Amino acid sequence: MLKLIAYRLLLAVPQLLAILVLSFLLTYLVPGSPAQALLRFGATPERIAEVEAELGLDSPIHERLAGYIGDAVQGDLGESYLSKRPVTDLIVERLPATLSMVIGGVTVSLILGMGMGILAGTRLDRPADRAVMAGTSIAVSVPQFLLGLFLLLLVSIELEWIPVVAYVRFTEDPLLWARGMLLPSLALGFAASGLIARQMRAGMAAAVHSDFGASLAAAGVSRRRFYFRYGIKNAMVPVLAATGLTLAILVGASFAVERVFSIPGVGHTLLHAVTSKDFPVVQGAVVVIAVLVIVLNILIDIGYALINPRIRVQ
Amino acid sequence: MTAMGDTVADPAAQVSEQEVTAARRTGTFGRIFRRPSAAVALAFVVLLVLVAVFAGPLAPFDPDDKNITSALEGPSGEHWLGTDDFGQDVLSRIMAGTRIALAVSLGSVAVAALIGVPYGLLLGYMGGWVDRIGSRVIDMSDALPGLLVALALIAAFGRGLWSVVFAIGIVFCMAIARLTRAVTLAERNKEYVDAARVSGLRPPEILFRQILPNLIAPLTAQASLMLGAAMIIETTLSFLDVGVEGVSWGGLISAGADELRRHPFLLVPPGAAVILSVLAFNFVANGISDVLAGTSLGSLRSKACPSAAQLEPSASHAKPLLADGSFRPDGVLEIRGVTVALPRPGQDPVPLVEHTWLSIERGEVLGLLGETGSGKSMLARAVLGLLPRPTYLSAGSVILDGAEISGLPERELRGVRGREISAVFQNPTTALSPVHTVCRQVSEPLRIHLGLSRSEARDRTVELLELVGVEDAASRIEDYPHQFSGGMAQRVAIAMALAAEPKLLIADEATSALDTTTQAQVLDLLLELRDSMNMAVLIITHDLGVVAETCDRVAVMYAGQIVEVNDVTSLFDTPRHPYTAALLQANPAADQASAGRRPTIAGRVPPPGEWPSGCHFANRCSFAQPACSEQPVLFVDGVRCLRSEELAQAGALR
Ligand code: SF4
Repeated sequence: MLKLIAYRLLLAVPQLLAILVLSFLLTYLVPGSPAQALLRFGATPERIAEVEAELGLDSPIHERLAGYIGDAVQGDLGESYLSKRPVTDLIVERLPATLSMVIGGVTVSLILGMGMGILAGTRLDRPADRAVMAGTSIAVSVPQFLLGLFLLLLVSIELEWIPVVAYVRFTEDPLLWARGMLLPSLALGFAASGLIARQMRAGMAAAVHSDFGASLAAAGVSRRRFYFRYGIKNAMVPVLAATGLTLAILVGASFAVERVFSIPGVGHTLLHAVTSKDFPVVQGAVVVIAVLVIVLNILIDIGYALINPRIRVQ
Repeated sequence: MTAMGDTVADPAAQVSEQEVTAARRTGTFGRIFRRPSAAVALAFVVLLVLVAVFAGPLAPFDPDDKNITSALEGPSGEHWLGTDDFGQDVLSRIMAGTRIALAVSLGSVAVAALIGVPYGLLLGYMGGWVDRIGSRVIDMSDALPGLLVALALIAAFGRGLWSVVFAIGIVFCMAIARLTRAVTLAERNKEYVDAARVSGLRPPEILFRQILPNLIAPLTAQASLMLGAAMIIETTLSFLDVGVEGVSWGGLISAGADELRRHPFLLVPPGAAVILSVLAFNFVANGISDVLAGTSLGSLRSKACPSAAQLEPSASHAKPLLADGSFRPDGVLEIRGVTVALPRPGQDPVPLVEHTWLSIERGEVLGLLGETGSGKSMLARAVLGLLPRPTYLSAGSVILDGAEISGLPERELRGVRGREISAVFQNPTTALSPVHTVCRQVSEPLRIHLGLSRSEARDRTVELLELVGVEDAASRIEDYPHQFSGGMAQRVAIAMALAAEPKLLIADEATSALDTTTQAQVLDLLLELRDSMNMAVLIITHDLGVVAETCDRVAVMYAGQIVEVNDVTSLFDTPRHPYTAALLQANPAADQASAGRRPTIAGRVPPPGEWPSGCHFANRCSFAQPACSEQPVLFVDGVRCLRSEELAQAGALR
């Protein structure tokens, strides 16, 4: 198991390097120069050159890239053009809220998705199965933030079950935190639960129609016994793979969901940076979010190895 | 002889395969229209496009016309969907927003295809290190949320239409590249086989004539899904006020969000527009993939297929064709006139196995010999009551120890499977669940049928594994199937099948996947177990060597029918059916048990649904006469051939 973790960490290194390079190159995509974009109207060439020197944009590209990666590895992602605060601080201070939403979303997607998938998978081609599958089609078609708005309207405003309150940190009050995360997690996880349900159902169907499905059936194992003793565990393999893929979607969608529920997550910082062309912050957000997704994926891979004994490090 | 057989048989098969693909290709889009959900969805998409194009003249109001006096009104005759906080007509604004929604999603998917398809083609076609590195790049993109990438690119390029289209396009190009690569790789591998034979096709021709046509359908399905996903991203961007400037659905939702307490209805029209559009794209995609997967289940389901319970599996169904002398009605298992059929929408069901009579005595080893597609495995499934849906037992019955088991309710059949009749299948590496220990699986019959406790079952499992020759069994029962070699895994599967000491073991190609030495060992094991447990064994195989080596009696199956039954020595010495004779001629060494050679006879086995009305073998039989094709040939005296006696006497079959 330790070897597996080490191996996965090793695999993440080139991935991370590539993402660092890509995020570094972002400023070179900007038509004109970042300084020009930053200054917008009325920038004289002298003023642009001045700002470029100030931002360290005048040294050659390879030097800057090496410097950028070297700093990034030590956790230094530069300074915000606007607030002059370290980018790492700006983003990391907002990470807990984003992480809370994402973990809540993953939990919801797994509980709902596996529940629906088992319901459908144990009733293959019967009305319940078709109903659940139709439900998943609808689930994946609703943008997460839109569902968030409907939930907010229904649960908090119309029914007044959960009051609209400011975000409470987990360390302050776990219970209030959990209550505050309920609707955002639901909004975030519902669409992904459709994907999970389909994988679960497909995995159970594949198990039933597999060779071992046939041999266990021939040995007298009933369908029901097979579903619960063999089908679900086999289906968890594709389910976890799908969970890994939904992670990135959930993180992205959280940027919009946090606005609906006024949660101080990374999305707010990022959007502000996007509209004000504060490139170091945009780049930093890309890097930090990628690291977050990679780390969460490694955790999922560990779960994957726990379920699937065939995973071995070459 | 064999080589000639190959060259004669294969081009024919290939042509027909190409015809089938061509037919499928042209039919795909027609068939999508026939699925109600996909057809409605497609109509909705067309409607969206029309609205987007004609939004200007169609809209009842100028979408930007402000009128504060009529702000935040509900639906009325004048404003069908009400007005927003500036008194602007919501319907007109939704129509205007359709433009951005469609332009961005269509544009971005086009960009994704323009980048992703060539990239995927390159990786799939070049292979080697190009592919390895290129694929790693694709995998890396999984760590970047699409919305984040889009936001970063919008930061760089601004929020003009083209820059948003490009930003979202970049998000999806990797997924398209992945799909393209997979299809290319699959086609290229096929191409190698064909290229050796056909030759003369240059790489670009292969690319454009073989790969691209095969790519179009899956790509269309994927693109349709992406249109929905792109629309979600576009709406999200507009909602966050970083999308294309102008009237957009996301912007309308944002306006609704601001008025959530005062006028929540404002959320409904743009929300519905987004959800319905994305749903439409997804249903179109589902329609395409379903048709591609060949699961026209919708139409299959519409015709009620009789379930096992509805059937009355009495022998009366099978009256027309009589049992004859070769059927010994005192076996441990009797297969009486079994017919298995596959229902077809709007047509008669296709028989897969027809009027099969067979009996096995206690302690007997009976071989069921036939080529792939002869229906022999289907027969085994019918005996176990495990026919894959939607096939069903349309006539005949299965009798176990004098009691009919076909048509028994599932609950009672469970007591038969594993306890009375067991089975081992072809592929030992997939015969056991990969994520469960061997102990858990082998002990299932012990716990289900014999009611042993967990620890008793465990002890017995160790004994069973020892019995089938797994060394060091006690320490291996907590291992997983992948830790066993193929031969050992098959022994484990046999242990599971034997755990509750059944009266009959069905070995369905159980040794075909093993190498010759292992095959011989496993066959020996089966014979030993037959002796020690006085168990009947039904060996289903395409391999004459296996039959010669192990069986007491053999039944030869061809195109869904049993054509000859005899004891092994007689069958090999004096075949009475032209098909049996041809099989033996194609495998002259079979008597000496040279295993593994597939019988080759010019032509191919007609697939179910294309069986001749007379003798099924007529189109390949060198002794066929017009009379052979006139009416079904009956199974008389152990053989199903009109000319059997005459040919045997003339010595033509030896
Ligand atoms: S019935 Fe006629 S066609 Fe069929 S096997 Fe006998 S001789 Fe050949």
